[in-house]
Amino acid sequence: MMALEGIRILDASDVIGHYAGRILADLGADVIKVEPVGGDPTRRWAPLLPDVAELESGLQFLLLNANKRGITIDVTQPRGRELYLALTKTADVLIDSLQEHEAVEFGLTADHLIEVKPDLIHTSITGWGLSGPRANWAYADIVGCAMSGTMQLVGLADGPPEQLPDMQGYHTASIQAAAGTMGAIVYRQSTGEGQRVEVSMQEAMSIAQETAMMQADILGTNRERGKPQFGLDLPGSGLYEAADGYVFLIASGLAGSGFPGLVRLMAETGDEEDLFEEPFRTFITDVMGTTQLRDILLDPGGTSSPSHRSSEISHLLPHMDDVVRKFCKKHPKSYLYEEGQKRRILVGIVNTPNDILESQQLKERNWFVDLEDTKRGVTLRYPGPQWQLQGTPAQLRRPAPMLGEHNNEVLSEIGIDESELSELVAEGVIAG
Amino acid sequence: MIKNEQDTNVETPRILEGVKFLDLTWFGAGPIAMRTIAGMGADVVRVETEKRPDGLRTAPPRPVNATGYNLSGYYNNFNTDKKSITIDLTTERGHELGMDLVQWADVMMTNLTPRGIRQVGMDWETIQKVNPGIIALYQPMQGMTGPHSEFGGFGAVLGTICGINGLAGFEGNPPVGVGTNYTDYVVNPMHAVTALLAALYHKRRTGEGQMIDMSQLESSVAALAGPAFALANGGEPYIREGNRVRYAAPHGAYRVRDNGERGDRWLVIACLENQQWRDFAKVAGHVGWADEERFATLADRKANENALDALVEDWARQQDGEGALATLQAAGVPSGLVLNATEVLADQQMVARKYFRYIEHPEAGLRAHDGSGFKLSKTPAEPQRPSPLLGEHTYEVATDILELMPEEISNLVVEQVLF
Repeated sequence: MMALEGIRILDASDVIGHYAGRILADLGADVIKVEPVGGDPTRRWAPLLPDVAELESGLQFLLLNANKRGITIDVTQPRGRELYLALTKTADVLIDSLQEHEAVEFGLTADHLIEVKPDLIHTSITGWGLSGPRANWAYADIVGCAMSGTMQLVGLADGPPEQLPDMQGYHTASIQAAAGTMGAIVYRQSTGEGQRVEVSMQEAMSIAQETAMMQADILGTNRERGKPQFGLDLPGSGLYEAADGYVFLIASGLAGSGFPGLVRLMAETGDEEDLFEEPFRTFITDVMGTTQLRDILLDPGGTSSPSHRSSEISHLLPHMDDVVRKFCKKHPKSYLYEEGQKRRILVGIVNTPNDILESQQLKERNWFVDLEDTKRGVTLRYPGPQWQLQGTPAQLRRPAPMLGEHNNEVLSEIGIDESELSELVAEGVIAG
Repeated sequence: MIKNEQDTNVETPRILEGVKFLDLTWFGAGPIAMRTIAGMGADVVRVETEKRPDGLRTAPPRPVNATGYNLSGYYNNFNTDKKSITIDLTTERGHELGMDLVQWADVMMTNLTPRGIRQVGMDWETIQKVNPGIIALYQPMQGMTGPHSEFGGFGAVLGTICGINGLAGFEGNPPVGVGTNYTDYVVNPMHAVTALLAALYHKRRTGEGQMIDMSQLESSVAALAGPAFALANGGEPYIREGNRVRYAAPHGAYRVRDNGERGDRWLVIACLENQQWRDFAKVAGHVGWADEERFATLADRKANENALDALVEDWARQQDGEGALATLQAAGVPSGLVLNATEVLADQQMVARKYFRYIEHPEAGLRAHDGSGFKLSKTPAEPQRPSPLLGEHTYEVATDILELMPEEISNLVVEQVLF
């Protein structure tokens, strides 16, 4: 049994909401993707699956709409709108991304939807939310990154701010929407009542500013991009070039075996240079593995540690960092990652998409899943679930729908017969 | 800055009223998940120790000269509406009390590594014996099984492993990542919330609890899977091209005129449709651009993107950011300004929708908090109460939930089991 078996969801969202529908479909809900008659635009977005009709080849579409059935409806026509509302009546949840002006134009406002189906969970996912002076402004993924403050933090100090990769604005909005919708489903389970779940991409991403918002609030200053994460440049912390790529180290401070552990790893290959000698030896055991270093650096003239004043240690740190840099440059990234982690040093490896496909850990956990797509004549490899609910495991049950693939099936479920179906096709209300 | 009016009162229904959560998480991804759950009205009890406090309690940002465990904005933004009890679970008596809390709880969550979980004796087999119907979410970096399950790290380490560093930025630049422990703040905590609520839904239908094995690596890759999915299936390989995307052009951040207040000011523009490109050219005062053959279709604009971006960059340099944004938005062109945190706090849309919550904290004062990432019309999930002081509710939880007598509590404090 899957967790959301028996829940029926109409997913009429644009790309901003596709991942939300996918999450709920993976949990076992019957999710019906509703597209315009011409198809969702992302059906044609590159990257494309080779040797398949363009409309069926957009890989983002195929990824984000797997596990859903699919129908087409032109809601701008009166009959299309009727059909849409009739389907809404049969659904537990409706996900859309209509902005207020569109909802009014199509006669599909949030208030009207609740009138049609009083216990509906209506999940609205848009760039700015349904209220406020900017409710009707245009948006795109990068606009959410920018206006949530997250983009300001991404990039090099002397370069432009950078977007987050792979549509994180849209996905963040979807992730928040799925969580809110799941909350509403639980509430409906105990009370029978529906409600509106409303997501603004700008708000959804705001918490991803990390400490920037709190710093602005408490200290009145703004974090800048391209600076060490918390304003401190510590040896053994940050990005280091390996022989064949990059690793990321957090070897200063309390976590794991810290800098002493790193020096021991370096010593195994004779790369520790003079770090076992004084004054480094004492400094590394007494200060590097504690919070003292941070306190000293954050409060240079302070009294936090009389024996190790900032001025006295400032000449030690660059050399220590230099030794780490030389050590990393000498060894392959996988050596630094695996051997470092085995010794409880916090090391990350900068993985490429190919590294992720080849990851031993993901392979051992059978994470990637192959699924045959008979309509497109291919077998695709999909990423696995976000979590393993061991009592109610996720299943990849079907590939993303072909355009209008389930028109007949879904519409017959609400009592529309063959002749009416042909009429709807002839009138262009649904795709033929 | 004024304190928010309470938008809920005793009559306002909350989704998780009466549901009991044991919060054994720390740092970012776990606490934010539990904060969201607490915002939905659950009773969340957080176990901490003074011996090894949550690292965020002493992390910046804190007021100048701050000491102690209760003034970090980093911690205080992520632990609202919870109770804090300090128990040393590694002691025998502490572990017994921990098991009493397991018995009390409907749901337990931790983001320790499997090794850490064993150290505090909170593995699935142990807790299931005490509470067979419990839901337990384990959220270590790489899951509970597999050769890398014991690997440790914070969000910045995970960022490299899950691939975000390798995707962000420009080809040729070092993979510095996205400036934050990105997946800690929405991706992993909110995936966890969804999983927990789904398990709760299932339990209410069937009476069955379950174990959730949530690898933060898998959860993160799932939200960043486009490039790996394309590569696995014969799509065009991913290129690190900064602010460009395959599905739109022009698409990027363009520096605008220095208004004297803040030099580092950037306008983002995304023309996803040909019409948006034509509208952009028109309101930018260069209607001729849209007639140029080399920019006619998306494929043309992508093929000539350097030339296209050079034109847009030159145009943007002469614009006032706010003015240009208003003009583009009036024409329906997706656009925005790259705001810094101060500007986000004061942003008219955020303010109008009351996203940020101003909550009075007994030591930190009236401070801004992130609101809920979703607005629920009947059962608001906004944070209401400040994050707990370390051990603030030790006495209360020891008395009300653990049902200890005052003398016993004093003894346990002396024995350093409770703090």
